[in-house]
Amino acid sequence: MSNFVAVDLGGLGIDPAFRETIFAHFRETAALMTSSTSTATPLEHAFYGRVADVKSPKSDINALILDYLTMEGYPKAAAKFSKEANLKPQQEDPTINSRQQIQHAIHTGDIETAITALNELDPEILDKDPQLHFSLLRLQLVELIRQCNGGDTNPALDFATKKLAPRAVMNTDFLKDLEKTMALLFFPHDNLQPELAALLHSDLRRNTAIKVNEAVLVRQTQRREAAIRNLVRMRAWAETSVRARKKGDLPDRIELGLNGDDSDYLEGVHENSHEPMITT
Amino acid sequence: MTNPFQHFAGDSSTGGTPTPLVPTLLGQRRTSYASVVSGTPGLARPTRAGAFSHLLNPAADSDSHSNLYATARNYNLDAGMAQGRNGVPGSGSGSGRGGGSGAGGGDPGDSGDDGPIASLGPQWQPRPGNGLPWFSRAFDHLITPDELLASAGITDFSFGGALASAGGSGFLSPSYLRGSVYLQELEEAHRAKLIAEREGNAAKTQAAAGLASNGSTQLQGASKLPSGTHRGVAFELVEKQPVIEDDDDLNPLPSRWNKDDKDTSLDVLGDGLEVKFTGRTTSEHEACSIRADYPMPALCGVYYFELTVLNKKRDETTIGIGFSSRSVSLQRPPGWEPESWGYHGDDGRCFAAQNVGKSYGPKFGSGDTAGCLVNFRLGHALFTKNGVDLGIAFRDVNFKDVKGKLYPTIGLKKPGDHVLVNFGQRPFQFDIDGYMKKQQKMISDSIKNADPSSLAPPLAESELIQQLVLQFLQHDGYVESARAFAEEILGEKKALCLGPNEHVEGINIKDDEDANNRQRIRRAILDGDIDRALKYVDMFYPSVLKDNEQVYFSLRCRKFIEMIRKEAELNLLLEKKLAKFTKRRFSQGVDAAAAGAQISHGEEDDEEMLEVDEVGNGHGNGHWTGGHHEEAEDDDGMDVEDGASANGNGFGGVSKLSQDALAYGMELRAEFHADPRREISHRLEEIFALIAYPNPLKVKEVAHLLDGSGRVTVAEELNSAILMSLGKSSRAALENVFAQTVVLLEDLRKDGGDGAFVTVQSVFDEVPMSSPF
Repeated sequence: MSNFVAVDLGGLGIDPAFRETIFAHFRETAALMTSSTSTATPLEHAFYGRVADVKSPKSDINALILDYLTMEGYPKAAAKFSKEANLKPQQEDPTINSRQQIQHAIHTGDIETAITALNELDPEILDKDPQLHFSLLRLQLVELIRQCNGGDTNPALDFATKKLAPRAVMNTDFLKDLEKTMALLFFPHDNLQPELAALLHSDLRRNTAIKVNEAVLVRQTQRREAAIRNLVRMRAWAETSVRARKKGDLPDRIELGLNGDDSDYLEGVHENSHEPMITT
Repeated sequence: MTNPFQHFAGDSSTGGTPTPLVPTLLGQRRTSYASVVSGTPGLARPTRAGAFSHLLNPAADSDSHSNLYATARNYNLDAGMAQGRNGVPGSGSGSGRGGGSGAGGGDPGDSGDDGPIASLGPQWQPRPGNGLPWFSRAFDHLITPDELLASAGITDFSFGGALASAGGSGFLSPSYLRGSVYLQELEEAHRAKLIAEREGNAAKTQAAAGLASNGSTQLQGASKLPSGTHRGVAFELVEKQPVIEDDDDLNPLPSRWNKDDKDTSLDVLGDGLEVKFTGRTTSEHEACSIRADYPMPALCGVYYFELTVLNKKRDETTIGIGFSSRSVSLQRPPGWEPESWGYHGDDGRCFAAQNVGKSYGPKFGSGDTAGCLVNFRLGHALFTKNGVDLGIAFRDVNFKDVKGKLYPTIGLKKPGDHVLVNFGQRPFQFDIDGYMKKQQKMISDSIKNADPSSLAPPLAESELIQQLVLQFLQHDGYVESARAFAEEILGEKKALCLGPNEHVEGINIKDDEDANNRQRIRRAILDGDIDRALKYVDMFYPSVLKDNEQVYFSLRCRKFIEMIRKEAELNLLLEKKLAKFTKRRFSQGVDAAAAGAQISHGEEDDEEMLEVDEVGNGHGNGHWTGGHHEEAEDDDGMDVEDGASANGNGFGGVSKLSQDALAYGMELRAEFHADPRREISHRLEEIFALIAYPNPLKVKEVAHLLDGSGRVTVAEELNSAILMSLGKSSRAALENVFAQTVVLLEDLRKDGGDGAFVTVQSVFDEVPMSSPF
């Protein structure tokens, strides 16, 4: 080795000044290593300063976004994003389109179509998950009741007797749900107690769609939900815990910056927008 | 001392490999091969892979860039090449390059495989022909000592040696703590220290520069550092722990008994893990205790260690296991004094800071293993015997209120008492991993049930996430994605719309010129085309780089890295083909050696030839032009012969590639070397070091520098800078959510609370691998 170095030096005539510069770097670095360099610039609250010091793992965040778009069934956005961010589409997921169609059918209240599509995608899924099957049928009943508002209740009654009643007798929870749903037939819909009104709210569709999607995902990928949900929950949990234990010094309210200084940029929700959507 | 190869081979055997037997063998083999192949005792200039390089460039015409693997080349030459591969590793290791990869494998057997890398790789040959004192060489040598240590340090040599003597091999990472932030931070600190050490050494080298200081001496020097020293300095050298406020808390894990914190009747044996009672019998109320080198870190949340009683079967033993602070007398067994807790094997009782214990578990003695577990979060401790949990011994102890830190402690009483401790160096008898998982599950369950609707009322979880994602896409300039997503959200909303009375709120995605520009710039960087990005930035945001010198610097560095990367990729491809090729010809081994010798000999005889060879060699390892690269990549199954001809054709571009990289590197250095900032010089050193490797892509210590994720980093850095310049927040809300969570968890981790059992990283780990590129 010594020889190597020596030969090297001699043979090639390294500029000593240059060498000195490089080594000066080494020395400097070593010296500087011992002094710590903190560059926290306190913002309005020390907490935000600490937050600002956390490095944002862009690649991880990108993966998280793609995971969300894929898992929760936004095929177009997922495709565009994997292109724009140079990410490989997260494992070929052939179900993303079917899942999206099923979700869409549920959102629109077309449960029959949803059940058909679901059976096509995975013939065993409903048989293996009576709870899920019942949720879907119950939602279908709600939709039938909604449609007959004030009119002919026969289709709804018929459906309840044929499809739901046999299942409800097997399980007291199902029975309770069925009874509650049937109550909708007897009360005017514009003045319901909250518990019943909730059945007619679109959240029931949304939540049922989420459940169905999760069930498909578990069977396809072993994962139930997008990772981002856990991040958001972890964030909520952590804040609650810190506050409860008084472990840290937090501002009264931690801003996410969802609309903050970016409000002009993010035109989130428009009450009076005449152009509901600008696309392509 | 004229044959550099011999020399290298020797070095690599002394310094490069930990076990003495194998390397010697290897060294000899290399030496002999090397000399056969190179056969150039008179060769004064150590072209790193000289023997091989001229095989690569048999014809001397540097203008026509003769086809080095031309199919027409005879069989013997090709086979000689195969032999050359075996000969050269010695030189590779000796120069501190191949050594890096060999060490990386940690298996001496690897070295043989690394041969081809070392031999094929060196792209930066001296080019005496053109009369320039080539920078490449200059860099080489300057970086070499550094790299030697790098390879040594990062892959177990210097610190491995130190730690090994401390009773572990490499970095101590008990299985149950893997993945924890605490361990991660320790590891970072450890690495930072190594780097500092390495640089310190480099500086020292400089003091002795030009003298006979050589790689192997340094290597030994590094590993000879007394282990105490290397620990002692560890924390002064940690430059910037990202989120740790209380640096005191970042103690290393206990790893051995502390010889300076024991009763005199005890002897620490072997690697610091064994303790034996060698004094005289003690009185009734006395025992002899010893504490570990470091306290149990509360930040872990849970700490566990085990001891095994080594006494001979018949011996009567009186052994206690527990923990105590340093103020506790060493003449008392653990548990009998304030700030001391213990479980005693002679009577199976446990003692909590007083000498009246309570009956707790079975006795333990010869051949038994007893374990001690402290749960800082729940404030309790339990013991185990032979892997069985004996139940909670002490409850509701507020360990953080104890004045001193608590050290693993054992007490021995009788002559012959002899124990071996396990601080996590080996698997434990008790299923501590399972215990830890249960603890983690408790936390993750409560996280699952958390309700995020308080974060940005009135948004509930699903809507909040939708908004976060949408805002992220817009904020970061993913224009098309944002549009597609908004469209899909709208479709969902419309579907959920229950009646004509309900108004569907639209989402207005502005056609934001800035967003488009930013996406264009990002695209360029993600494609590795830094020049294009610079052009756009100059066009759209001319002041941004002036105002953000750091970003400018990152971009410039990235460009350099892209240059190296391009070449390394080409080389990798070539090697793959060569490997296939030589394998096929390997049966020709004997002929090959002969051919190698012959040709080397020819070189020696013909000065002119040599010179031209080396000129050719300058191009030789650079290989292909970008165009060929693509072509080759598209057709990976391409035959070697094809590869060879492609290679031949591509010669002209190649040398240009490496020369450009070097010229650019010099430019970069010239521009920034005067910069006093540590990060700058550090970064420069880091990336310039890439030159030192034959193929940096194959050296795991540096390969990450070339990783495509680096593009993302630079692209986002620049994007943030542009956003700032536009008066916008540099971070999307989702990133704030992330960063806030990190900080909050950090608060929760203090004193081993809930935060010790959860990491934000675990969220990312849920996402199946979806690597860029």
